Amino acid sequence: MSPNRIRLIVIIFLLAALVILPHLASRYVVNVLLLVCVYVALASMWNLLAGYSGMVSLGQQMFIGLGGYTLAVFSLYYGVPIFLSVFLGGVVSVILALSISMSVFRMKGVYFAIGTWVIAEALGICFSNWGYVRYGMGLFIQPAYRLSMVSIYYGAVITCLVSLGLVYFLLRSKLGLALMAIRDDDGASEALGVNIFRCKLTCFLIGAFITGTAAGILYLNTIFIQPFEAFGIGWTVKLLFIVIIGGIGTIAGPIVGAIIFVLLQQFLSEYVGYNLIILGGITIAVIFFAPTGIIGTLQKKWGFELLPIRRQ
Amino acid sequence: MAAYLEPIINGVLLGGLYGVVGIGLSMVFGIMRQVNLAHGEYMILSSYFSLIFLHLLGVHPLLTLFLVLPLMFLLGYAIQISLFNRIMQKQMEPFLMVSFGLSIILQNALLLIFTPDARTLKTALVIKSVNVFDVFNVPLIYLVNFTVGLLVLVLLHQFMKRTYLGWAIHASSEDLSGARLMGINPKKVYAVAMGIAAVTAAVSGVLIGMTFTFYPHSGTQYLIIAFGVVIIGGLGSLPGTFLGGMILGISQLVGGRVIGPGFQLLSGYIILLVVLTVRPQGLLGRR
Repeated sequence: MSPNRIRLIVIIFLLAALVILPHLASRYVVNVLLLVCVYVALASMWNLLAGYSGMVSLGQQMFIGLGGYTLAVFSLYYGVPIFLSVFLGGVVSVILALSISMSVFRMKGVYFAIGTWVIAEALGICFSNWGYVRYGMGLFIQPAYRLSMVSIYYGAVITCLVSLGLVYFLLRSKLGLALMAIRDDDGASEALGVNIFRCKLTCFLIGAFITGTAAGILYLNTIFIQPFEAFGIGWTVKLLFIVIIGGIGTIAGPIVGAIIFVLLQQFLSEYVGYNLIILGGITIAVIFFAPTGIIGTLQKKWGFELLPIRRQ
Repeated sequence: MAAYLEPIINGVLLGGLYGVVGIGLSMVFGIMRQVNLAHGEYMILSSYFSLIFLHLLGVHPLLTLFLVLPLMFLLGYAIQISLFNRIMQKQMEPFLMVSFGLSIILQNALLLIFTPDARTLKTALVIKSVNVFDVFNVPLIYLVNFTVGLLVLVLLHQFMKRTYLGWAIHASSEDLSGARLMGINPKKVYAVAMGIAAVTAAVSGVLIGMTFTFYPHSGTQYLIIAFGVVIIGGLGSLPGTFLGGMILGISQLVGGRVIGPGFQLLSGYIILLVVLTVRPQGLLGRR
């Protein structure tokens, strides 16, 4: 069988398993898979920015917080249908991304990382001083109590598949080629007629939309949102861990990373306080000993890509 | 006007402290072209070291500096040798991520050992204040901070200008291969530079501990302040660092007075974002 056919069979099998699973497995397994799907979506977007576009953002939590709060405000205060509120979270995130894009794209490298981080911190302070969202006390997203776990699970699966599909087709398009050219040498690519601003903006906006939406799904599951947690740097730590472990700049990397991360989180939840120390230690070890992550190392060894972005 | 005079004067004095908060970060960037995201944790770690010595010896917090400074120098030196020196040749991302991982580890280790409770380095200085012309009050601790901060900046400047090690550090940042040809071992120079950066972090950590309450996760906040100072003033510029500290200090205190105490940090962040957008190289920095 040709590698393409193997790929197709594996993917179809996995999809079928994802769809049927909630009717077979226990609540706990469904919950774990739900988390994996959400983290795959979030990490793929960070990977799209950091791994493919050369924008190491430390501020993805601004979209996570905003997505969560949009969901809470619309569903709780205005009675908007809950999955529409999740979608609106993505829309509001795109609006934020658009309004800050003129400013953040003037920053490069480290400055971009710091700039995005500071914006997220500033938003966290704004929300914790805002009476409308009950200051730092946070909000309970009560309409989410009525949802069944299975419907949230399907929401997560759809978000995950949409984000993976977007990244895959984006990178195989002309834009993907342009992005890789920018990442490798921005001056030369600009001289060849690549519009750097537009390429980066496209990725940034897509990243904002999916991150905001996925955050909404996550908060449907968590139900409680609080500004310092929602806009905290902890989110970026998690995404960074997932992408580095799995393999930065590969599509399958965030999937493997998210599975490992969620499983680790389940096992380490008994050791409160140690889990982040262990995650930090693993990240450093991976950067030292396998800088391309699990997928990158395996690809080099076997020469087989699960989801290749280059045409054969 | 008098209502604004007090936050402005205090902002200038706070700027002296912020200058030391930023100088270590600026130095590491100037020399290695790398950003150490664990710098904030170096500061808070020093605050906790000082707290330990305070309990053990019962001396004034400023005297614990004699123990905390060498300890932090060794720690910075060791971390550079064992971790950062291995990833220096590569792009900036690995350094960013390793230092980020280190900061997470340090922060959570502090949380485990010292619990999330608020701590201070207790001194009588905090409650005293100096009345100037019956117009405004200046907390005595701010004067101490300003003096120590200025002293550190001047000493560092003299060190870089007059000693062999200072020249070696300067040479490695100007022209690495040239410095190698002159018999300078860059890895050792980097380690010394990181040690010195950790020492400045230690000074700011002890001053912060005396002035404000601190928690295990306070490092993040001071890291962002350090970035603010460095970015506003311009990377690698010593007078710029001092200026950046003052601008940030003034904008925080005046912003806190005008909008409300909850927005103190926010007004500093906004100034930082404006400078990042309008003049990314900083006020006194060169492109």
